[in-house]
Amino acid sequence: MELQAVILNLLRFWGEQGCLVQQPYDMEVGAGTMHPETFLRVLGPEPYRVAYVQPSRRPADARFGENPFRLGKHLQLQVILKPSPADVQELYLRSLQVLGIDPAVHDVRFEEDNWESPTLGAWGVGWQVLLDGMEITQFTYFQQAGGLDLKPISAEITYGLERIAMFLQRKTSIYEVEWVSGVPYGAVRHRDEVELSRYAFQQADVSMLRRHFEDWEREGFRCLEGDDPLVIPALEAALKMSHLFNLLDARGAVSTTERVAMIARVRKLAVATAKAYVEQRKRAGFPLLSGGAA
Amino acid sequence: MSGKFLFELLCEEIPANALPEAREQLVAGLAAKLDEAGVTASRPLGFSTSRRLALWVEGLPAETPARVEEVFGPPASVAFAPDGSLTRAGEGFARAQGVAPSELQVVEGPKGKVVAAKKHVPGRALPELLAEIVPAVVSSLHFPKTMRWGEGQYVFVRPVHRVVALWGLDSLDQVVGFSIFGVPSGAATLGHRVTHPGEVLLSGVRDLEGYLQRLRQAGVELDPSRRRALFRQKAGELASEVGCQVRPDPALEEEHVELVEFPGLVRGELDSAWLSLPEEVIVTTLRHHQKCLVLEKDGRVAPYFLAVCDRPDDPQGHVRQGNEWVAGARLSDAHFFFHQDLQNPLEAMAEKLTRVAFHAKLGSYADKAKRVEALVVQLAEALGFAELRGPLQTAARLAKADLASHMVGEFPELQGVMGGIYAQKQGHAPEVWQAIAEQYLPAGQEGAIPKSLTGALLGVADRLDTLAALFSVGEIPTGSKDPFALRRHALSVVRICGEFPLSLSLPEAASWAAAPFGGAGVTELAGFLRERERFFLESKGLPGPVADAVLSARWGMPADELALGQALASLWQTPQFVQLATAFKRVRNMVGKEGEGTWAPERLLEDAEKALANQVAGMEEELGRLATAKAWGQALALLAGLAEPLDRFFTDVLVMCPDVELRQARLGLLAKIQRLFLQLADVSKLQVAS
Repeated sequence: MELQAVILNLLRFWGEQGCLVQQPYDMEVGAGTMHPETFLRVLGPEPYRVAYVQPSRRPADARFGENPFRLGKHLQLQVILKPSPADVQELYLRSLQVLGIDPAVHDVRFEEDNWESPTLGAWGVGWQVLLDGMEITQFTYFQQAGGLDLKPISAEITYGLERIAMFLQRKTSIYEVEWVSGVPYGAVRHRDEVELSRYAFQQADVSMLRRHFEDWEREGFRCLEGDDPLVIPALEAALKMSHLFNLLDARGAVSTTERVAMIARVRKLAVATAKAYVEQRKRAGFPLLSGGAA
Repeated sequence: MSGKFLFELLCEEIPANALPEAREQLVAGLAAKLDEAGVTASRPLGFSTSRRLALWVEGLPAETPARVEEVFGPPASVAFAPDGSLTRAGEGFARAQGVAPSELQVVEGPKGKVVAAKKHVPGRALPELLAEIVPAVVSSLHFPKTMRWGEGQYVFVRPVHRVVALWGLDSLDQVVGFSIFGVPSGAATLGHRVTHPGEVLLSGVRDLEGYLQRLRQAGVELDPSRRRALFRQKAGELASEVGCQVRPDPALEEEHVELVEFPGLVRGELDSAWLSLPEEVIVTTLRHHQKCLVLEKDGRVAPYFLAVCDRPDDPQGHVRQGNEWVAGARLSDAHFFFHQDLQNPLEAMAEKLTRVAFHAKLGSYADKAKRVEALVVQLAEALGFAELRGPLQTAARLAKADLASHMVGEFPELQGVMGGIYAQKQGHAPEVWQAIAEQYLPAGQEGAIPKSLTGALLGVADRLDTLAALFSVGEIPTGSKDPFALRRHALSVVRICGEFPLSLSLPEAASWAAAPFGGAGVTELAGFLRERERFFLESKGLPGPVADAVLSARWGMPADELALGQALASLWQTPQFVQLATAFKRVRNMVGKEGEGTWAPERLLEDAEKALANQVAGMEEELGRLATAKAWGQALALLAGLAEPLDRFFTDVLVMCPDVELRQARLGLLAKIQRLFLQLADVSKLQVAS
């Protein structure tokens, strides 16, 4: 199955399960979890269901386009079901069938793999899902986000799209995966990988990145001041800080000790933003509670 | 006819490492609750798969035994009026306990006379009891990590979907009604999620085998020991089909057993191109993410592996293909890292360590490498291996370089191993790459120690530096807190010195290691190493008192203390040594209390003391010679020869005589004897308490 069909089939499936099909967040993020449709929506009491594709950037994972399995920027398909339904594992297994994966002849296993994001003050309990020995999904019951205990609990399903397409197409390199018939992934994305790697590892201006990290930290907290804080701009500032940190890290500019301190600074803003969001929704009377759930 | 009870809890996949403990807790919890209720039964049996926890117990009575319970009431003086009639308080107590006033008795309680009622507690039907205790046992289970789900009101290891609780005298025909985490108990569970979805009705089951059989028919092998046996058998068959053996991996086998509902294995084949990778890399790559067992032929890794799956067969070969594909992908990844790393000399990687912090207060790994380089040279020179100076300096400088390699970034468990391989490939001398490869050995209390001298020296120097550095900033383990695993590091130092062996004086080496930190924490460090040496001696089979006797006299050369301790252990319970221990205890007490006197044999008067002094006079030199030659048995025999004369001394001689000079001379003799013993062992520690 082509990569594009994998995406369309999964979005259609989850749309049919009552998920709002959202768009990727238009910023650099390290994971689909950082999209406000996940990070903010899992907070507070309102039910929600959403699915979207999110390009995810991990500058340190970039390999100059030379490694057949590693990308500095890859695609995640993220699903949030809040509250987690009792049949969430069965729903997930059905989603594999729309990819043409028949559980009757494959081995599907859920193996413990808990998830944690120190920058978001978020963690959850769950599994990596293995299909014939290949990790294709991260499955998490969020327990905390932005340092806040969650209730109800959301189930997060994250599909690694390139991996799944590679597996289905039996390709030995990501770049050989067919995006659509006759158009290999490499033709679309290889040059980006090369350039983004060079930038992250060799060219990024360290002092500029550091300066912007500080700027966005200040700006983020400024957005949260006052009686009517600006939640989304504050979150965007935290996301920018997170990406700037990742670039500095890839560039080798962050010592082990400093690393801990920088992560703590991002988390502080993320936690303050989460709190402000919950208060904002509360003031609005949690509008999605009254049957208006997506 | 006796009662049987079956409990099964079906949930989402439980972490493999939590299952063995959960089974035990479940069994112990139910046994304890039954015991509390006075119910005798067979020991409950616990079972599990990745999705379920189950209990089976039989030999249960239909009812709990009826009991008479004595309940204490108010003091007799309050319950009875002076005329002997019941007061209102007394009547109230009788009524509350449901006994006639005439049945009240006066008994002696802890606070004087009180009234008491004997209550007849009737037996309860077992299902009623079970409905009460099983949910209590389940909610008391402890897991390393728990979670909430759905609306978030319950906490358990994973979301719960089914609860089966069945009771019966002949066959299981009655549902024991209760609910756990909002799930009501019933009579049906579910089969294997993929191979047998759908309900499995368990009512009517007559015995344990019947239950296990029903689940087997539904694709589930509930008995972990049976799963282990099936895995082993299948692994053996798959290996021998290609003329290989399974490389033993008990930890991974254990994990396989807990990971599935049905024990399946497939054999995959590796592209022979990957066999050019170092074996350690192949094995780690396969184990790390895929939990694959490696096959070997004539001790060498063969181009096959075994992958676990949760199903009995692989009808279309998808499971094999998938695992081969992933193994190939991972090995190709490793291959990529390996060749990237090889293009990068270790020297260049080592330079990156200036940016890697060793500890917030202690600088970078590059700073550490400098300290270790100086220390390892100092150790080598002290031991007479000055010629190793060059290779040791190189090894110390490059030892941590692989922390900056791609491969170790991906597989941290290969640190050291990769450094050694890269150093070898980059043309360093064997003394250098062996030292780098072996610096982390022994990995634990049991692991093998380094084979090469340079590996042993580097391993000791690196760990002593870590210990001294952390002790200098007050990071000293207390109680169960040991975040930097310093106990393990210290034990490894002692083990290498004791087993390699190295004739290094640990107190001296500790002070060298502490020197860059101005000696801060060195006293604590010495005490810490001494404690680990005691642990080491006991782990080698020395009785505690023998280890204490030796360590009270000398410590810091574990090989010597071990040999001496072993010699002492073979003697310490002989009558002569028992006598010696008693006599020496008197020597220590006296010298400790009265002082060391003056060595002046010419002043001694009595035959007994003159004889003793004569015997002692020449011993010092002789003992020194025997200790240098490590002839511990002979040295101890020499001391044992003092048992008799010492006894005679204490019988015939009054040490605390009025003549001051004579008293000082006698004390001087005893002090000399004490010094002699304390070259070897404080045998007073061996005195059997009488």
